[in-house]
Amino acid sequence: MINFWPGSRPFFEWCERTAIGMAVRDTIWAFPFIETFHLLALAALLGSILLINLRVFGIGMRQFSVPQLARMLEPWILVSIPVLLVSGILMALSEPIKCFESYSFPIKMLFLGIAIVYHFTVQRKLRISEDAPPIRGKLGATLGISLWAIVSVAGRGIPYI
Amino acid sequence: MSFLNFFQWLEATPWSIAMRESEWIFPFVETIHVLALAVMLFPTALMDLRLLGLMMRRESVSSVRNQLMPWIWTGFGTMIVSGVFVLSSHPVKYYNSPFARAKAVLLVLAGLNAMIFELTAGRKVAAWDQGPPPFRIRLTGGISLLVWIAVVAMGRAIAYG
Repeated sequence: MINFWPGSRPFFEWCERTAIGMAVRDTIWAFPFIETFHLLALAALLGSILLINLRVFGIGMRQFSVPQLARMLEPWILVSIPVLLVSGILMALSEPIKCFESYSFPIKMLFLGIAIVYHFTVQRKLRISEDAPPIRGKLGATLGISLWAIVSVAGRGIPYI
Repeated sequence: MSFLNFFQWLEATPWSIAMRESEWIFPFVETIHVLALAVMLFPTALMDLRLLGLMMRRESVSSVRNQLMPWIWTGFGTMIVSGVFVLSSHPVKYYNSPFARAKAVLLVLAGLNAMIFELTAGRKVAAWDQGPPPFRIRLTGGISLLVWIAVVAMGRAIAYG
């Protein structure tokens, strides 16, 4: 199997020998326990992103304006991103070679980076106002949903491809 | 016919065999199942938190409910359909899994909790629609939140048990 960056293998081998990686690997039930937190935080993050961005299209919680909804749900996003990162790092450290050999993993990391930057630059502006021209607002909302959906799908793909 | 007979019969159907033999159906369905979790679980949690009186206190319960129910039902329907696909890929394995059984019991509990609520307190929503809800209503929200978190945990445990 070819790899995007074969030279990174020593890094993943080092990850495998870290104390945290070994602890997660050797503790029975640690992985599904951590994965449960990962999934709950995913539901909060992706759920918030969907509620806010579909509201831009006039779908969903219409009793709130877009900025109201974005302000109300922002704490969920700000809590779930660190929970996802910490639980994700723990899982990746426990089976880094699987991540190294997977196509999905680097794709997920790439889009995760883009999605986080996008959130803290463009997406968060929705909390203040939605006075962007409608077309741009809708493009931005579509991009917001797509980026996090790609991250989720690529994450689910790691054990398979 | 016992439950086991039914699951054995299901496992021998061409449908179930095709699910096992295909390399992509299972990961595809599993991905849908995870994405739908965001659509179903997060709005359910928001509804439960409103019933607990912890969020959106200035909005009436019925208004929050009307806004969230389409999400909850859309997500729930998708969860059920994709869940039936997952179940029918390895019916006997899931029949024998204590975690799959626990998940089934928890799903029934969540359903009963919601049904009892709809048939009793839910019908008299006008009496507690505004402001902090009475204890019974908060209890319903708390049970729902805990049961759904446990459903996710059991779902993850099935894959490792």
